[in-house]
Amino acid sequence: MTRFLAALAFAAVAHASTVSALQKPEVNPHAALLADFKERVDKYVELRKKADDSAPPLKETKDPAKIREAQEALVERIGAARAGTKRGDIFTPEISAHFRRLLRPELKEAGTKALMKDDDPNPESVAFKINAPYPDKQPLSTVPPNVLATLPRLPKDIDYRFVGKHLILRDVRANMIIDYLPNAIS
Amino acid sequence: MRCQHTSIRFGAALALAVGALAAPAAVDITLPNTKDSVKIAIIGDSGTGDSAQYKIAEQLIASRQKFPFEFALMMGDNLYGGDTPKDYDKKFETPYKPLLDSGMKFYASLGNHDNPNERMYKMFNMNGERFYTFKPKNNVRFFALDSNYMDKPQLQWLEKELAASGSDWKIVFFHHPIYSSGGTHGSDLQLREQLEPLFLKYGVDAVFSGHEHFYERIKPQKGIYYFVSGGAGKVRKGDVGKTPLTAKAFDTGYHFMLIEFSKDTMHFQVISEEGKTIDSGALPRFSDADKKKLSTATP
Repeated sequence: MTRFLAALAFAAVAHASTVSALQKPEVNPHAALLADFKERVDKYVELRKKADDSAPPLKETKDPAKIREAQEALVERIGAARAGTKRGDIFTPEISAHFRRLLRPELKEAGTKALMKDDDPNPESVAFKINAPYPDKQPLSTVPPNVLATLPRLPKDIDYRFVGKHLILRDVRANMIIDYLPNAIS
Repeated sequence: MRCQHTSIRFGAALALAVGALAAPAAVDITLPNTKDSVKIAIIGDSGTGDSAQYKIAEQLIASRQKFPFEFALMMGDNLYGGDTPKDYDKKFETPYKPLLDSGMKFYASLGNHDNPNERMYKMFNMNGERFYTFKPKNNVRFFALDSNYMDKPQLQWLEKELAASGSDWKIVFFHHPIYSSGGTHGSDLQLREQLEPLFLKYGVDAVFSGHEHFYERIKPQKGIYYFVSGGAGKVRKGDVGKTPLTAKAFDTGYHFMLIEFSKDTMHFQVISEEGKTIDSGALPRFSDADKKKLSTATP
Protein backbone atom coordinates (compact mmCIF):
# COMPACT_ATOMS: atom_id res chain seq x y z
CA MET A 1 0.00 0.00 0.00
CA THR A 2 2.78 2.44 0.97
CA ARG A 3 4.60 1.66 -2.25
CA PHE A 4 1.43 2.22 -4.23
CA LEU A 5 0.86 5.63 -2.62
CA ALA A 6 4.45 6.66 -3.19
CA ALA A 7 4.17 5.69 -6.85
CA LEU A 8 0.94 7.65 -7.13
CA ALA A 9 2.50 10.73 -5.57
CA PHE A 10 5.49 10.47 -7.88
CA ALA A 11 3.19 10.19 -10.91
CA ALA A 12 1.18 13.21 -9.78
CA VAL A 13 4.28 15.37 -9.32
CA ALA A 14 5.65 14.27 -12.69
CA HIS A 15 2.31 15.09 -14.35
CA ALA A 16 2.09 18.49 -12.71
CA SER A 17 5.58 19.48 -13.79
CA THR A 18 4.85 18.37 -17.38
CA VAL A 19 1.63 20.41 -17.41
CA SER A 20 3.32 23.48 -15.96
CA ALA A 21 6.10 23.18 -18.51
CA LEU A 22 3.54 23.04 -21.30
CA GLN A 23 1.32 25.81 -19.90
CA LYS A 24 4.02 28.26 -18.97
CA PRO A 25 2.30 31.53 -18.13
CA GLU A 26 2.89 34.27 -20.66
CA VAL A 27 5.56 36.66 -19.54
CA ASN A 28 5.33 40.29 -20.59
CA PRO A 29 8.60 40.74 -22.44
CA HIS A 30 8.64 44.35 -21.34
CA ALA A 31 7.95 43.63 -17.67
CA ALA A 32 11.57 44.18 -16.73
CA LEU A 33 11.63 47.53 -18.54
CA LEU A 34 8.45 48.66 -16.85
CA ALA A 35 9.74 47.55 -13.47
CA ASP A 36 12.93 49.47 -14.14
CA PHE A 37 10.93 52.60 -15.03
CA LYS A 38 8.81 52.24 -11.89
CA GLU A 39 11.87 51.84 -9.73
CA ARG A 40 13.45 54.98 -11.16
CA VAL A 41 10.27 57.00 -10.66
CA ASP A 42 9.81 55.64 -7.13
CA LYS A 43 13.37 56.63 -6.34
CA TYR A 44 12.56 60.15 -7.48
CA VAL A 45 9.39 60.23 -5.36
CA GLU A 46 11.41 59.18 -2.33
CA LEU A 47 13.88 61.99 -2.99
CA ARG A 48 11.04 64.47 -3.49
CA LYS A 49 9.44 63.40 -0.25
CA LYS A 50 12.63 64.22 1.64
CA ALA A 51 12.88 67.60 -0.10
CA ASP A 52 9.19 68.23 0.57
CA ASP A 53 9.58 67.47 4.27
CA SER A 54 12.30 70.06 4.68
CA ALA A 55 10.76 72.81 2.50
CA PRO A 56 7.98 75.25 3.45
CA PRO A 57 4.85 73.15 3.08
CA LEU A 58 2.79 73.38 -0.09
CA LYS A 59 -0.63 73.31 1.49
CA GLU A 60 -3.96 75.06 1.10
CA THR A 61 -3.69 78.76 1.73
CA LYS A 62 -5.46 82.02 0.97
CA ASP A 63 -2.11 83.59 0.17
CA PRO A 64 -0.90 82.88 -3.41
CA ALA A 65 2.59 84.07 -2.43
CA LYS A 66 2.88 81.11 -0.08
CA ILE A 67 2.00 78.68 -2.89
CA ARG A 68 4.68 80.29 -5.03
CA GLU A 69 7.28 80.22 -2.26
CA ALA A 70 6.61 76.58 -1.45
CA GLN A 71 6.82 75.61 -5.12
CA GLU A 72 10.07 77.47 -5.67
CA ALA A 73 11.63 76.14 -2.47
CA LEU A 74 10.73 72.64 -3.54
CA VAL A 75 12.38 73.11 -6.94
CA GLU A 76 15.51 74.39 -5.22
CA ARG A 77 15.71 71.52 -2.76
CA ILE A 78 14.98 68.87 -5.34
CA GLY A 79 17.58 70.44 -7.64
CA ALA A 80 20.19 70.31 -4.88
CA ALA A 81 19.31 66.73 -4.01
CA ARG A 82 19.47 65.72 -7.67
CA ALA A 83 22.70 67.48 -8.48
CA GLY A 84 24.55 65.42 -11.02
CA THR A 85 21.47 63.80 -12.53
CA LYS A 86 21.17 64.10 -16.28
CA ARG A 87 18.59 63.66 -18.97
CA GLY A 88 17.85 60.02 -19.52
CA ASP A 89 18.34 58.94 -15.93
CA ILE A 90 14.68 57.90 -15.94
CA PHE A 91 14.04 57.66 -19.68
CA THR A 92 16.98 55.36 -20.38
CA PRO A 93 17.50 54.43 -24.05
CA GLU A 94 15.67 51.10 -23.50
CA ILE A 95 12.75 52.69 -21.64
CA SER A 96 12.59 55.46 -24.26
CA ALA A 97 12.33 52.95 -27.08
CA HIS A 98 9.55 51.15 -25.24
CA PHE A 99 7.61 54.37 -24.64
CA ARG A 100 7.82 55.25 -28.32
CA ARG A 101 6.44 51.82 -29.15
CA LEU A 102 3.59 52.30 -26.65
CA LEU A 103 2.65 55.69 -28.04
CA ARG A 104 2.73 54.84 -31.72
CA PRO A 105 -0.62 52.99 -32.07
CA GLU A 106 -2.50 55.40 -29.79
CA LEU A 107 -1.48 58.38 -31.84
CA LYS A 108 -2.88 56.81 -34.96
CA GLU A 109 -6.37 57.06 -33.45
CA ALA A 110 -8.49 59.70 -35.11
CA GLY A 111 -8.48 62.96 -33.25
CA THR A 112 -5.81 62.10 -30.69
CA LYS A 113 -3.07 64.09 -32.38
CA ALA A 114 -5.45 66.94 -33.11
CA LEU A 115 -6.50 67.08 -29.47
CA MET A 116 -2.90 67.14 -28.32
CA LYS A 117 -2.06 69.91 -30.74
CA ASP A 118 -5.05 71.89 -29.57
CA ASP A 119 -3.59 72.86 -26.20
CA ASP A 120 0.02 72.49 -27.19
CA PRO A 121 2.46 74.90 -25.57
CA ASN A 122 5.08 76.56 -27.70
CA PRO A 123 8.04 74.13 -27.59
CA GLU A 124 10.48 76.98 -28.09
CA SER A 125 9.30 78.57 -24.86
CA VAL A 126 9.96 75.51 -22.75
CA ALA A 127 13.49 75.03 -21.47
CA PHE A 128 14.12 71.33 -21.89
CA LYS A 129 16.21 71.13 -18.82
CA ILE A 130 15.74 68.70 -15.99
CA ASN A 131 15.15 70.18 -12.53
CA ALA A 132 13.95 73.38 -14.22
CA PRO A 133 10.46 74.77 -13.66
CA TYR A 134 7.86 74.36 -16.35
CA PRO A 135 7.41 77.89 -17.76
CA ASP A 136 4.73 79.99 -16.10
CA LYS A 137 3.12 81.46 -19.15
CA GLN A 138 2.86 78.32 -21.24
CA PRO A 139 -0.32 76.20 -21.18
CA LEU A 140 -0.08 72.56 -20.19
CA SER A 141 -0.88 70.13 -22.95
CA THR A 142 -3.97 68.04 -22.47
CA VAL A 143 -3.03 64.38 -22.44
CA PRO A 144 -5.79 62.34 -24.08
CA PRO A 145 -7.21 59.61 -21.83
CA ASN A 146 -6.41 56.88 -24.35
CA VAL A 147 -2.75 57.92 -24.33
CA LEU A 148 -2.70 58.02 -20.53
CA ALA A 149 -4.22 54.55 -20.40
CA THR A 150 -1.34 53.23 -22.53
CA LEU A 151 1.50 54.67 -20.49
CA PRO A 152 2.66 53.22 -17.17
CA ARG A 153 0.73 54.64 -14.25
CA LEU A 154 2.55 57.26 -12.22
CA PRO A 155 2.49 58.05 -8.52
CA LYS A 156 0.34 60.93 -7.33
CA ASP A 157 1.61 64.36 -8.35
CA ILE A 158 3.89 63.13 -11.10
CA ASP A 159 2.47 63.53 -14.59
CA TYR A 160 3.18 63.13 -18.29
CA ARG A 161 2.85 66.13 -20.58
CA PHE A 162 3.71 66.71 -24.19
CA VAL A 163 5.54 69.69 -25.54
CA GLY A 164 5.50 69.40 -29.29
CA LYS A 165 6.85 65.93 -30.07
CA HIS A 166 8.55 65.55 -26.72
CA LEU A 167 7.22 63.84 -23.62
CA ILE A 168 7.91 65.44 -20.29
CA LEU A 169 7.84 63.78 -16.91
CA ARG A 170 6.74 66.54 -14.56
CA ASP A 171 6.60 66.99 -10.81
CA VAL A 172 3.20 68.59 -10.27
CA ARG A 173 3.91 69.93 -6.78
CA ALA A 174 7.18 71.54 -7.83
CA ASN A 175 5.91 72.31 -11.36
CA MET A 176 9.28 71.01 -12.47
CA ILE A 177 10.65 68.86 -15.27
CA ILE A 178 12.03 65.61 -13.87
CA ASP A 179 13.12 64.10 -17.17
CA TYR A 180 12.01 64.17 -20.79
CA LEU A 181 11.89 61.94 -23.78
CA PRO A 182 12.78 63.73 -27.01
CA ASN A 183 10.79 62.87 -30.12
CA ALA A 184 8.44 60.61 -28.22
CA ILE A 185 5.97 60.96 -31.06
CA SER A 186 6.63 61.45 -34.71
CA MET B 1 -12.16 64.98 -1.62
CA ARG B 2 -15.64 65.69 -0.38
CA CYS B 3 -16.56 68.93 1.24
CA GLN B 4 -19.73 70.33 2.64
CA HIS B 5 -20.76 73.78 1.66
CA THR B 6 -22.09 75.81 4.52
CA SER B 7 -24.87 78.15 3.62
CA ILE B 8 -23.86 81.74 3.26
CA ARG B 9 -25.58 84.66 4.85
CA PHE B 10 -25.51 87.68 2.66
CA GLY B 11 -26.98 90.57 4.60
CA ALA B 12 -25.38 93.92 5.07
CA ALA B 13 -21.86 92.95 4.04
CA LEU B 14 -22.99 92.09 0.53
CA ALA B 15 -25.15 95.19 0.19
CA LEU B 16 -22.25 97.35 1.27
CA ALA B 17 -19.73 95.61 -0.92
CA VAL B 18 -21.91 95.65 -3.99
CA GLY B 19 -22.96 99.23 -3.43
CA ALA B 20 -19.33 100.31 -3.34
CA LEU B 21 -18.90 99.42 -7.01
CA ALA B 22 -20.31 101.53 -9.81
CA ALA B 23 -23.34 99.44 -10.70
CA PRO B 24 -23.89 98.68 -14.38
CA ALA B 25 -27.36 98.73 -15.94
CA ALA B 26 -29.73 96.60 -13.91
CA VAL B 27 -29.95 92.99 -14.98
CA ASP B 28 -33.44 91.65 -15.52
CA ILE B 29 -33.62 88.33 -13.78
CA THR B 30 -35.95 85.85 -15.44
CA LEU B 31 -35.30 83.05 -12.95
CA PRO B 32 -37.99 82.07 -10.41
CA ASN B 33 -35.71 83.01 -7.50
CA THR B 34 -37.53 80.83 -4.99
CA LYS B 35 -36.55 80.61 -1.37
CA ASP B 36 -35.27 77.06 -1.06
CA SER B 37 -33.69 76.53 -4.45
CA VAL B 38 -29.96 76.16 -5.10
CA LYS B 39 -28.75 79.28 -6.87
CA ILE B 40 -25.39 79.43 -8.55
CA ALA B 41 -23.40 81.35 -11.16
CA ILE B 42 -21.05 79.98 -13.79
CA ILE B 43 -17.99 81.68 -15.24
CA GLY B 44 -15.63 80.08 -17.72
CA ASP B 45 -12.22 81.05 -19.09
CA SER B 46 -12.37 84.18 -17.02
CA GLY B 47 -8.80 84.81 -15.88
CA THR B 48 -7.44 87.35 -18.33
CA GLY B 49 -7.34 90.40 -16.11
CA ASP B 50 -8.62 92.37 -19.10
CA SER B 51 -11.45 94.89 -19.16
CA ALA B 52 -13.86 92.25 -20.51
CA GLN B 53 -13.37 90.10 -17.41
CA TYR B 54 -14.01 93.14 -15.24
CA LYS B 55 -17.17 94.04 -17.15
CA ILE B 56 -18.54 90.55 -16.73
CA ALA B 57 -17.55 90.65 -13.05
CA GLU B 58 -19.55 93.86 -12.64
CA GLN B 59 -22.61 92.27 -14.21
CA LEU B 60 -22.15 89.24 -12.00
CA ILE B 61 -22.03 91.43 -8.91
CA ALA B 62 -25.05 93.44 -10.04
CA SER B 63 -27.09 90.33 -10.79
CA ARG B 64 -26.43 88.98 -7.31
CA GLN B 65 -28.33 91.89 -5.82
CA LYS B 66 -31.46 90.50 -7.45
CA PHE B 67 -30.57 86.83 -7.59
CA PRO B 68 -28.60 85.90 -4.48
CA PHE B 69 -26.55 83.00 -5.84
CA GLU B 70 -24.63 81.19 -3.17
CA PHE B 71 -21.49 80.36 -5.11
CA ALA B 72 -19.92 80.35 -8.56
CA LEU B 73 -18.46 77.46 -10.51
CA MET B 74 -15.33 78.18 -12.55
CA MET B 75 -14.88 76.25 -15.78
CA GLY B 76 -11.08 76.54 -15.86
CA ASP B 77 -8.49 78.88 -17.34
CA ASN B 78 -8.88 80.78 -14.13
CA LEU B 79 -5.50 82.47 -14.51
CA TYR B 80 -4.11 83.00 -17.99
CA GLY B 81 -0.43 83.69 -18.54
CA GLY B 82 1.02 82.91 -15.15
CA ASP B 83 0.19 82.33 -11.52
CA THR B 84 2.26 84.83 -9.59
CA PRO B 85 0.55 86.54 -6.64
CA LYS B 86 0.00 89.50 -8.98
CA ASP B 87 -1.89 87.25 -11.39
CA TYR B 88 -4.16 85.99 -8.60
CA ASP B 89 -4.80 89.58 -7.63
CA LYS B 90 -5.47 91.03 -11.08
CA LYS B 91 -7.32 88.05 -12.55
CA PHE B 92 -9.36 86.89 -9.58
CA GLU B 93 -9.21 88.78 -6.30
CA THR B 94 -9.75 92.30 -7.65
CA PRO B 95 -12.55 91.70 -10.19
CA TYR B 96 -14.56 89.55 -7.78
CA LYS B 97 -13.62 91.43 -4.59
CA PRO B 98 -17.16 92.40 -3.54
CA LEU B 99 -18.27 88.80 -3.92
CA LEU B 100 -15.27 87.46 -2.03
CA ASP B 101 -15.68 90.05 0.70
CA SER B 102 -19.27 89.01 1.17
CA GLY B 103 -18.13 85.44 1.82
CA MET B 104 -19.35 84.04 -1.46
CA LYS B 105 -17.50 80.95 -2.56
CA PHE B 106 -15.94 80.05 -5.88
CA TYR B 107 -15.43 76.41 -6.84
CA ALA B 108 -12.81 76.06 -9.55
CA SER B 109 -11.91 73.41 -12.06
CA LEU B 110 -8.58 73.41 -13.87
CA GLY B 111 -8.08 74.48 -17.48
CA ASN B 112 -5.06 73.98 -19.69
CA HIS B 113 -3.82 77.46 -18.81
CA ASP B 114 -3.90 76.75 -15.08
CA ASN B 115 -1.04 75.56 -12.94
CA PRO B 116 -2.50 72.54 -11.11
CA ASN B 117 -1.13 74.02 -7.88
CA GLU B 118 -4.07 76.45 -8.02
CA ARG B 119 -5.77 73.63 -6.15
CA MET B 120 -3.87 74.86 -3.07
CA TYR B 121 -5.47 78.28 -3.29
CA LYS B 122 -8.16 78.29 -0.65
CA MET B 123 -10.42 80.73 -2.48
CA PHE B 124 -10.86 78.16 -5.25
CA ASN B 125 -12.24 75.64 -2.72
CA MET B 126 -10.63 72.62 -4.33
CA ASN B 127 -9.42 71.09 -1.05
CA GLY B 128 -5.96 70.68 -2.52
CA GLU B 129 -7.23 68.25 -5.17
CA ARG B 130 -7.47 68.30 -8.97
CA PHE B 131 -10.94 66.77 -8.76
CA TYR B 132 -13.48 66.88 -5.96
CA THR B 133 -17.15 66.84 -5.12
CA PHE B 134 -19.38 68.91 -2.87
CA LYS B 135 -22.99 69.15 -1.93
CA PRO B 136 -24.36 72.58 -1.04
CA LYS B 137 -27.85 71.40 -0.19
CA ASN B 138 -29.72 68.16 0.14
CA ASN B 139 -30.72 67.65 -3.46
CA VAL B 140 -27.77 68.74 -5.61
CA ARG B 141 -24.24 67.36 -5.83
CA PHE B 142 -21.46 68.85 -7.91
CA PHE B 143 -18.42 67.06 -9.32
CA ALA B 144 -15.39 69.04 -10.50
CA LEU B 145 -13.04 67.18 -12.83
CA ASP B 146 -9.60 67.83 -14.28
CA SER B 147 -10.16 67.19 -17.98
CA ASN B 148 -6.55 68.05 -18.82
CA TYR B 149 -5.43 64.80 -17.30
CA MET B 150 -8.17 62.19 -17.19
CA ASP B 151 -6.18 59.30 -15.79
CA LYS B 152 -7.39 56.06 -14.30
CA PRO B 153 -7.36 57.14 -10.64
CA GLN B 154 -9.62 60.09 -11.54
CA LEU B 155 -12.02 57.90 -13.51
CA GLN B 156 -12.16 55.37 -10.67
CA TRP B 157 -12.79 58.15 -8.18
CA LEU B 158 -15.57 59.60 -10.34
CA GLU B 159 -17.29 56.25 -10.68
CA LYS B 160 -17.16 55.68 -6.93
CA GLU B 161 -18.50 59.14 -6.13
CA LEU B 162 -21.26 59.03 -8.74
CA ALA B 163 -22.36 55.62 -7.50
CA ALA B 164 -22.57 56.97 -3.94
CA SER B 165 -24.44 60.13 -4.85
CA GLY B 166 -27.93 58.68 -4.68
CA SER B 167 -30.90 60.55 -6.07
CA ASP B 168 -29.43 64.05 -6.00
CA TRP B 169 -29.18 66.23 -9.05
CA LYS B 170 -25.78 65.27 -10.39
CA ILE B 171 -23.95 68.18 -11.96
CA VAL B 172 -20.50 67.68 -13.45
CA PHE B 173 -18.18 70.48 -14.54
CA PHE B 174 -14.77 70.52 -16.18
CA HIS B 175 -12.82 72.46 -18.78
CA HIS B 176 -12.97 70.58 -22.10
CA PRO B 177 -16.47 70.11 -23.57
CA ILE B 178 -17.37 66.66 -24.80
CA TYR B 179 -20.09 68.19 -26.98
CA SER B 180 -19.35 71.44 -28.77
CA SER B 181 -19.81 73.07 -32.15
CA GLY B 182 -16.63 75.10 -31.81
CA GLY B 183 -14.61 75.61 -34.94
CA THR B 184 -11.38 75.97 -33.00
CA HIS B 185 -11.72 73.01 -30.67
CA GLY B 186 -15.00 71.14 -31.08
CA SER B 187 -16.15 68.09 -29.11
CA ASP B 188 -13.45 66.25 -27.21
CA LEU B 189 -14.18 62.74 -28.44
CA GLN B 190 -11.52 60.93 -26.42
CA LEU B 191 -12.85 62.46 -23.25
CA ARG B 192 -16.41 61.66 -24.29
CA GLU B 193 -15.47 58.02 -24.76
CA GLN B 194 -14.28 57.85 -21.14
CA LEU B 195 -16.85 60.03 -19.41
CA GLU B 196 -20.15 59.56 -21.19
CA PRO B 197 -20.60 55.90 -20.20
CA LEU B 198 -20.18 56.88 -16.55
CA PHE B 199 -22.56 59.83 -16.91
CA LEU B 200 -25.18 57.53 -18.42
CA LYS B 201 -24.65 54.68 -15.99
CA TYR B 202 -25.05 56.88 -12.92
CA GLY B 203 -27.66 59.32 -14.21
CA VAL B 204 -25.76 62.59 -14.50
CA ASP B 205 -28.25 65.39 -15.17
CA ALA B 206 -26.18 68.25 -16.54
CA VAL B 207 -22.62 68.98 -17.61
CA PHE B 208 -20.93 72.40 -17.80
CA SER B 209 -17.63 73.10 -19.56
CA GLY B 210 -15.56 75.98 -20.88
CA HIS B 211 -12.49 76.00 -23.14
CA GLU B 212 -14.50 77.31 -26.10
CA HIS B 213 -14.76 81.06 -25.85
CA PHE B 214 -18.46 81.32 -26.48
CA TYR B 215 -21.79 80.12 -25.12
CA GLU B 216 -23.54 77.07 -26.46
CA ARG B 217 -26.53 75.17 -25.15
CA ILE B 218 -26.39 71.72 -26.62
CA LYS B 219 -29.54 69.78 -27.45
CA PRO B 220 -29.90 67.10 -24.75
CA GLN B 221 -27.64 64.19 -25.54
CA LYS B 222 -28.91 60.79 -24.35
CA GLY B 223 -30.87 62.44 -21.56
CA ILE B 224 -28.12 64.77 -20.36
CA TYR B 225 -28.01 68.57 -20.66
CA TYR B 226 -24.71 70.05 -21.84
CA PHE B 227 -23.62 73.69 -21.73
CA VAL B 228 -20.44 75.28 -23.02
CA SER B 229 -19.66 78.48 -21.14
CA GLY B 230 -16.17 79.80 -21.75
CA GLY B 231 -16.76 83.47 -22.36
CA ALA B 232 -16.35 85.25 -19.02
CA GLY B 233 -13.01 86.74 -20.04
CA LYS B 234 -12.43 85.82 -23.66
CA VAL B 235 -14.53 85.60 -26.78
CA ARG B 236 -13.83 83.88 -30.09
CA LYS B 237 -16.16 85.66 -32.43
CA GLY B 238 -17.94 83.61 -35.05
CA ASP B 239 -16.46 80.34 -33.82
CA VAL B 240 -19.69 78.39 -33.35
CA GLY B 241 -20.07 76.21 -36.41
CA LYS B 242 -23.33 75.01 -37.84
CA THR B 243 -23.88 71.57 -36.33
CA PRO B 244 -26.97 69.65 -35.29
CA LEU B 245 -25.79 69.87 -31.67
CA THR B 246 -26.76 73.48 -31.08
CA ALA B 247 -29.94 74.48 -29.30
CA LYS B 248 -28.71 78.06 -28.80
CA ALA B 249 -25.35 79.75 -29.26
CA PHE B 250 -23.77 83.14 -28.65
CA ASP B 251 -20.31 83.98 -29.97
CA THR B 252 -20.36 87.71 -30.44
CA GLY B 253 -19.74 88.83 -26.86
CA TYR B 254 -18.83 87.83 -23.31
CA HIS B 255 -21.22 86.14 -20.94
CA PHE B 256 -21.83 84.33 -17.66
CA MET B 257 -24.61 82.02 -16.52
CA LEU B 258 -27.03 81.94 -13.61
CA ILE B 259 -28.61 78.64 -12.65
CA GLU B 260 -31.35 77.75 -10.21
CA PHE B 261 -32.10 74.20 -9.18
CA SER B 262 -35.47 73.40 -7.76
CA LYS B 263 -36.65 69.89 -7.00
CA ASP B 264 -37.29 68.82 -10.57
CA THR B 265 -36.32 71.74 -12.76
CA MET B 266 -33.11 73.48 -13.70
CA HIS B 267 -33.69 77.11 -14.63
CA PHE B 268 -30.97 79.00 -16.44
CA GLN B 269 -30.26 82.50 -17.64
CA VAL B 270 -27.28 83.62 -19.68
CA ILE B 271 -26.24 87.26 -19.43
CA SER B 272 -23.89 89.31 -21.62
CA GLU B 273 -21.42 92.00 -20.58
CA GLU B 274 -24.12 94.57 -21.36
CA GLY B 275 -26.54 92.89 -19.01
CA LYS B 276 -28.69 91.50 -21.79
CA THR B 277 -30.24 88.08 -21.55
CA ILE B 278 -28.78 85.86 -24.24
CA ASP B 279 -30.63 82.68 -23.40
CA SER B 280 -32.93 81.46 -20.67
CA GLY B 281 -35.27 78.62 -19.93
CA ALA B 282 -36.38 75.82 -17.65
CA LEU B 283 -35.24 72.26 -18.17
CA PRO B 284 -37.10 69.42 -16.50
CA ARG B 285 -35.14 66.76 -14.74
CA PHE B 286 -35.44 63.48 -16.62
CA SER B 287 -36.77 60.63 -14.54
CA ASP B 288 -34.60 57.54 -14.16
CA ALA B 289 -36.89 55.67 -16.56
CA ASP B 290 -36.64 58.44 -19.15
CA LYS B 291 -32.88 58.59 -18.75
CA LYS B 292 -32.66 54.87 -19.40
CA LYS B 293 -34.69 55.19 -22.58
CA LEU B 294 -32.81 58.28 -23.76
CA SER B 295 -29.38 56.86 -22.98
CA THR B 296 -29.61 54.55 -25.97
CA ALA B 297 -31.49 56.91 -28.26
CA THR B 298 -29.72 58.69 -31.09
CA PRO B 299 -29.99 62.41 -30.52
